[in-house]
Amino acid sequence: MPQVTERPKPFLFPEFCKGCGRCISVCQKHSIHFADHINARTGVVPIEIDLDTCNACGLCMDACPEPYGLIGRPVDATDWELEDPSHLFGHRPTTAPVPVDIPDQRVALPACEPLVVKGNYAAAIGALLAGCRHFFGYPITPSTEGAELMASLMPKLQGVFLQAVSEVATVNHMYGAASAGQRSMTFTSSPGFSLMLEGISYMIGAELPGVFVNIMRGGPGLGNIAPEQTDIKLACRGLGHGNTHALVFAPSTPQEMLDMTMRAFDLSFRYRNPVVILGDGYLGQMTGRVMLPRDMVKPGIPAWAVWGDAMHRRNLTSSIMLAETDLEQHNEHLNRKYEAMKVEAMADTFVCDDAEIIVVACNTPARMAKGAVQELRHMGVKAGLFRPQTLWPFPVDAFLPLLAHARRIVMVEASPGQLEDELRLALSRADVRTYPPISSVQHFGGILPQQHEIVTRIMDLPAGSHAQAVSGSEVLA
Amino acid sequence: MSSTVFYDRFERHSHGEGLKGQSTHYCAGCGHGLAHKYLAEAIDALGIQDQTVAVSPVGCSVFLYYYFDVGNTQAAHGRAPAVAIGHKVANPESIVVSYQGDGDLASIGLAEIVATAQLGLPITVIFVNNAIYGMTGGQMAPTTLMQQKTSSSPYGRDMYMGQPMKMAELIAGLDGPVYVERVALFDAKQRNRARKAIKKGLQLQVEKRGFSFVEVLAECPTHLKMTPEQAESWVREKMLPVFPLGVKKDETRDAWYAPPTPNYEPQALLGAIGGSTEALPRYCSSYPAHIAAHDISLKLAGSGGDGAQTAAMLLARAGINEGFDATHIPSYGPESRGGTSYADIHIAAEEVLSPASPHPHVLIAFNAPSLTKFASTVREGGTILYDSSVIDAPPPMPDGVTAYGVPMTRIAADLGKPLVKNIVALGALQAATGLFPVDTFLTAIRQALKDKCAMIPLNEEAFEWGRQSIAPRTN
Repeated sequence: MPQVTERPKPFLFPEFCKGCGRCISVCQKHSIHFADHINARTGVVPIEIDLDTCNACGLCMDACPEPYGLIGRPVDATDWELEDPSHLFGHRPTTAPVPVDIPDQRVALPACEPLVVKGNYAAAIGALLAGCRHFFGYPITPSTEGAELMASLMPKLQGVFLQAVSEVATVNHMYGAASAGQRSMTFTSSPGFSLMLEGISYMIGAELPGVFVNIMRGGPGLGNIAPEQTDIKLACRGLGHGNTHALVFAPSTPQEMLDMTMRAFDLSFRYRNPVVILGDGYLGQMTGRVMLPRDMVKPGIPAWAVWGDAMHRRNLTSSIMLAETDLEQHNEHLNRKYEAMKVEAMADTFVCDDAEIIVVACNTPARMAKGAVQELRHMGVKAGLFRPQTLWPFPVDAFLPLLAHARRIVMVEASPGQLEDELRLALSRADVRTYPPISSVQHFGGILPQQHEIVTRIMDLPAGSHAQAVSGSEVLA
Repeated sequence: MSSTVFYDRFERHSHGEGLKGQSTHYCAGCGHGLAHKYLAEAIDALGIQDQTVAVSPVGCSVFLYYYFDVGNTQAAHGRAPAVAIGHKVANPESIVVSYQGDGDLASIGLAEIVATAQLGLPITVIFVNNAIYGMTGGQMAPTTLMQQKTSSSPYGRDMYMGQPMKMAELIAGLDGPVYVERVALFDAKQRNRARKAIKKGLQLQVEKRGFSFVEVLAECPTHLKMTPEQAESWVREKMLPVFPLGVKKDETRDAWYAPPTPNYEPQALLGAIGGSTEALPRYCSSYPAHIAAHDISLKLAGSGGDGAQTAAMLLARAGINEGFDATHIPSYGPESRGGTSYADIHIAAEEVLSPASPHPHVLIAFNAPSLTKFASTVREGGTILYDSSVIDAPPPMPDGVTAYGVPMTRIAADLGKPLVKNIVALGALQAATGLFPVDTFLTAIRQALKDKCAMIPLNEEAFEWGRQSIAPRTN
């Protein structure tokens, strides 16, 4: 005789019944019907079960869409109706353990000869040294060499190179890999960066790390593939929707491409926030001397990762805060992070100690500006270069002391004043109401300001206007 | 008892307060709850709760993470499959489920789902198709039926709005997926099939066989403005003719997904990036200040294939090997092949400031247009080397500049390898300017060819012939 296992008859807390009635139509014994009253707690009419006619077929339980709707009634539970549901279903929402950090390790590298590589390659090598083994990207000139180098190196390091279907997919692959706690990056250029902004906003909201190298090119629209610096506003002020910010680095040599990429990964994980590296097309293509660091990173797994094992089971990656108070608190938390990031502001100065003319430039234009400053010094002009290495936060604290002797500020940029906007905003936020007039040398469309233009512009400045500092508002007028 | 894959209490559902601690946010009669239950049961049955990462979409099932006691990630609208890929490649042992509705998957996320399916990594997609947008309030979905009235097709869907998307058939037409089935929830038999299909979709992932896709026809009584029972009938009578149920693809594929574990060994990394601990010999006694005091700029100009960029790279490498700073910047014409190809090089005693060469100390021109374009930019006291085998009538040279016609192409052709004309040019450059000692150049050339050693003698010969074209050997 085969053993007959007795099937449980159904049981339902009326409070968890939404009254859909899907169980009614499936019941062959017509044992289920709607009650003749509205449940006071739910405001809906629940079903009722006639257990006398029920044959425990279980079809009603299969048809009930609610996890805690119709369930099998254990034979020993006689007084369930009187039980507090939390006793029945438990107080603890999960049995998953509390995760702990598996820390990163720094592994020493032997002293190496300098590499001779392009800026894009240097950033890719910096990422590998920083422990990045997950690269996602979509080909776009003039950033493609970085992705191509990753395509050739990742298989040698058993890492992942995945060519995405678009930049939109790219940033979401990064979202997933970062959610799993891994170090991932991409190379892109301006139009691609535009497409990634939605995902960057999600990453910031969900507090996910990731490194975006944007080799800026000419715009708007398709523009061209020559260098420009017109994504400063996107990176500093427009990282998608909502209250977003990210550290923005502005390298100006292949060496800085490597160093800043490595630093970007560390900071991205420290703050659990994306980091943007803005290069220009010129820098990406420029070959130069690159020294390797003393150590590299073997990454661990952070406690917050949704890694896909028992220890990380309770984790959630999400940017949703449905309750207004929750979302306000989350934004206050983000604001505290943004405030904390301000210590990462970095700037480089060149002969600024007594400079009366402060040239402000970043990326490759800063190199032209440096050449110009040196030329001007040979001509007896007290010029100096202020080079922000982070654009957000703008290194205003390093800039303010220079104002003591500055008579002019000269912006050199391949954009219509996006760097100038950052400087002006930083000065305003620092409550600096009086500063010298700002002139600029600007180019667009792929032309970079040249050294001789900068020299000429500065030599042509009206001599009399140097002597007096005027207020910022007058400059604007 | 309900599945332990559901949280005991839904803390994320309004902090688990009141009834929400054990109730879903779904409307009465919604199909999502059933799909959730079958997914939870399958996770339970396969014993993969700890490994599972569920990707919640945007749409009514946006809050899937309220309920499933697994690793959870919530994705942007339509991007769940892309996020799923990120999770899967980050931890190949994780079991990744992307759960999406029809607006999310079949409209805004079409590129992501098609690309993910074709990629074919073992990921399981549960696609809930209820022919309408739920979360935003009953608008037309890509799967909305013809003549179906919605809040954004108030007179019924017509040809001007296009026809419903048949996702299961579309996905099954791709090579990547291993299993595609469309199931429904409107009666006990269909529910049983749905339960089995979802389990099979996960099983194939556990077995590392490939991508699976289960489309679930579901009821949305709220936006169909029907009772749950009417909605079940509507799915059966209206949706089935358009979205026929059944297995659309079921391919036998062996387990294949076994990616390697990332390598973080320093030696492996240095080997990959060409990092060398071996110091190269230096031959320069001092910076070549006879050309410029601190910063020498050069320009190499020709057309694609002339080797200007390779020669420029060798020059930068040679300078850096000698302990100087050096940069090289290429500039190409818009053609990907055969267009103009210019290279600016700087070699500085301390630091290259401006890396462009608008006024070079040295110009090497591989063709007539390049020579014509740049000869006048060369500084006074500078040097021009041009390929006299292709430039038979050179333009007048600027005053104070030394120009050498070197038959670069002919010498290279005589050596049997026209490609080495750039090395001939470097030999001529060495002899004409004394930029670096001969050994500095040869070291850089050998270093560049270390993986193609057989090419070294030919290149050395080309370099020597280039030198001799300027300063014939006297002994």
